[in-house]
Amino acid sequence: MVKLFRPRKTTPRLERLHGLSLFVNLKPAELEIVDGLLHEREYLAGEVIFDEGEVGQAIYIVASGEVLICRQGQGEAGRVAQLGPGTFFGELALLDDSPRSAQARAATACQLIVFFRDDFVGLLDTHARIASKISRQLARHLGARMRVMAAAAGAYQHM
Amino acid sequence: MSDPAPSTLLVEEGHHGSGPVVWVAIIATTCLLLFLFQKILWLVVPFLLALILYYLLFPPMQGLIYRGMSRDGAASLVTLGFVVVLTIVGMALTPRAASHIAGWGDTGSRYVMGGQRLLENSLRGLEAHWPTLAKARVADKVATRLTQHADSVSDHLEPVAIGVMAWAPSLMLAPFLAFFFLRDGRRFQRFLSSAVPNAFFEKTLYLLYEIDHTSRAYFQGLIKLTVLDTVTLAAGLWMLGIPGPFALGLICAVLAWIPYVGSILGGLLVVLVAATDFPDSPSMAYWAIILFGAVRLLDDFVYMPLTVGKSLELHPLVTVLMIFVGGAVAGVPGLMLVLPVLGVVMVIGETIGVIVTDPRLMARHRHACTLRRAHASRDL
Repeated sequence: MVKLFRPRKTTPRLERLHGLSLFVNLKPAELEIVDGLLHEREYLAGEVIFDEGEVGQAIYIVASGEVLICRQGQGEAGRVAQLGPGTFFGELALLDDSPRSAQARAATACQLIVFFRDDFVGLLDTHARIASKISRQLARHLGARMRVMAAAAGAYQHM
Repeated sequence: MSDPAPSTLLVEEGHHGSGPVVWVAIIATTCLLLFLFQKILWLVVPFLLALILYYLLFPPMQGLIYRGMSRDGAASLVTLGFVVVLTIVGMALTPRAASHIAGWGDTGSRYVMGGQRLLENSLRGLEAHWPTLAKARVADKVATRLTQHADSVSDHLEPVAIGVMAWAPSLMLAPFLAFFFLRDGRRFQRFLSSAVPNAFFEKTLYLLYEIDHTSRAYFQGLIKLTVLDTVTLAAGLWMLGIPGPFALGLICAVLAWIPYVGSILGGLLVVLVAATDFPDSPSMAYWAIILFGAVRLLDDFVYMPLTVGKSLELHPLVTVLMIFVGGAVAGVPGLMLVLPVLGVVMVIGETIGVIVTDPRLMARHRHACTLRRAHASRDL
């Protein structure tokens, strides 16, 4: 019985998840719980991932390829950011059901990992420790983004 | 990325409702499924029980996984634990149940006769107070009719019992199915979601989560409600001095799973037992009726909102009509299965309705199909 509860050895899949910034603080057993909640999707270059104004239900993590965040229908001309492997977008959907503030398109053929808000909320109820580690990473990410935005607006010194 | 920008391409939640066509399709599909399920009842009942077991055993399994056990190991351990507990309870109850089963045909007839006697006595009492009823000889007519039907009830009890005993072993499938639900449920969910095109993925998954949450709340609530009903009714019956209060309470609580009809059957059962076991004290049967009514009120206004709530969110008129339709299409199994089946078909039907009536999602899907075709034929 003791052997059954030994700390789990990590697998290549779990190592890959551990490499993603959102899950970097999770242990193998915690990653296995989270892994059971994730979905994988493949998109071709130019395919719409979500539209601006759409109600957000999930956060997307880029496993491979690149994703363009842009103003609705403007493509490269309305570019907000281009994200590569390991990064994530649509993170506000984990917090509430506010509309997406930009469109996401696959810039190249890409593989995305999708984490639904309902699963995250369920995790808060069942495994608060795991959820708090993810929340911390999310808060760090949002804080970093706020600093970048503030700096871009020339208001960094007031923060 | 937080300011909501106005867009002509907004996809608003709940913007597209289900129309009458979708609802006709939902009801027709429900009827068709009930008709088919009636033919494979030996599989449908264990499947539903397995679903209830799945929702009960899922939290302890998650706890074991969190403590470092593999999913396979955790699913095996919780299922094995349940089977062991079930076996111990079964071994404790079997000798007692066997002694009752041996003479259960006679017992059934005795209780039917007891009920008949109570009704006849009650009608005679009413005739004594109401001359109109006495002139119409209502008690005699009802007694004659009931005697004929009581004979036929006795004739029918045995085949029904044999039928139930014949497919009861299939209930052993429930823990077996629950084990696979626990072990492979997520894998199956991912397998199903991989079949959903990218354009519909987020919306479809959101609605599928709604099904999962609704059914989880429904089944877990149902178990809690059954426990509360059993305890309350058993306590009341015990105070009245009616024999086998716990077993009676449990049977009535399980019968209450069938909406409306189950409550009536449960009430009838309690009255029959009270009337038969206390033939010289009709007041006992009336007290049993009062107790049952009180428990039903407590159930409807206190227990139900606390447990099952409005998890299915069906209109009461639709609920009642569909129960009758279920009964007409598939008999007693139809009565039991109609609401869970309708609940699932309704969410799936509404999901498809929402998706196919959303022009933006359809346009995105067509665009993705074009890209995939171009990608597949790029080097031809």
